[in-house]
Amino acid sequence: MKTPLDILLARHQATAPKLDTLRRDVINSQFRQRNIAVIILGFPTLLWRELVWPSRRIWMGLAAIWLFLLGINFSMRDHSQATMAKVMPSPPMILAFRQQQQLMSELLNPTDVPVAEPKKPYAPRPGSQRRRETTTA
Amino acid sequence: MAQSEQLPVQQAREGQPAAWDTLFRRYQLPLFVYVFELVHHEQTSLDLVQETFIAAAKHIGSLREDDKFGSWLFGIAHQKCLLLWRKKGGKEILLDEIPDAPDEGIESPDDFLIRHEQEAEFMSLLNELPLPQRSVLLLHFVEDFSLEEIARITETQIGTVKSRLHYAKKSLRKLLEAKNENTP
Repeated sequence: MKTPLDILLARHQATAPKLDTLRRDVINSQFRQRNIAVIILGFPTLLWRELVWPSRRIWMGLAAIWLFLLGINFSMRDHSQATMAKVMPSPPMILAFRQQQQLMSELLNPTDVPVAEPKKPYAPRPGSQRRRETTTA
Repeated sequence: MAQSEQLPVQQAREGQPAAWDTLFRRYQLPLFVYVFELVHHEQTSLDLVQETFIAAAKHIGSLREDDKFGSWLFGIAHQKCLLLWRKKGGKEILLDEIPDAPDEGIESPDDFLIRHEQEAEFMSLLNELPLPQRSVLLLHFVEDFSLEEIARITETQIGTVKSRLHYAKKSLRKLLEAKNENTP
């Protein structure tokens, strides 16, 4: 006498090797992919677990110092910009400064270019004088 | 029963391939038997078992209680069978209306003993049963699932499962008795 289960299992026992192959294929395909994903996604987790979490107080202290320095840096930058805006000279002052600079450069570096002589007015010579010059030659 | 077994479901949740191998090895043949006796095609049954395993590996997070792994896995397979029938243009063949069963205890599958010479007849009689009854009876025979578990697997009411199981067993007994009477 057999139970229905015995009969059913015995009837399909021949499929067992196919089912073994199927099982291995599923496990290989599902968990190989998953392992790759775990390696890729697991690296940040590993860093967090091994590097950050054990010395979290030190990291938090460092982070606080950095934040403090960053805050100071920002406040300094704002202050210097405001100061610069205050110091900026007015346009008449700039103009006067440029004029003064130009004058100074003229005084210290006089130009070497010679001044051209003014042209003489044309005066025609007498004709007798021209002839004499020809004979002597 | 599957519930009393110590299965590495927690390790499987953690993604350990060895745990999955143990679980799949435990259920591969009963699952194949169940699917095959519903669809009656070897390659289709193998494909459905494979799809069930892949779905189980992907959605293990949706399993609430570890000790319900077996019924959860059979539930996936059952849904795959339904999808296949729907694709083939079948209607809701697993959802028939049958009268309520009398309020009596459900006997163990081991009480249903079959003589060696009756084995072939048993299989042919099983296949003569309507699909909803066959499905419930197979789940009862193959894994000895409780009424609640069968109801969860087939997504039906416990009362419906009870009726189907009662009428399936009754039909099977009647058919077996009729065969016995006919044989000299």
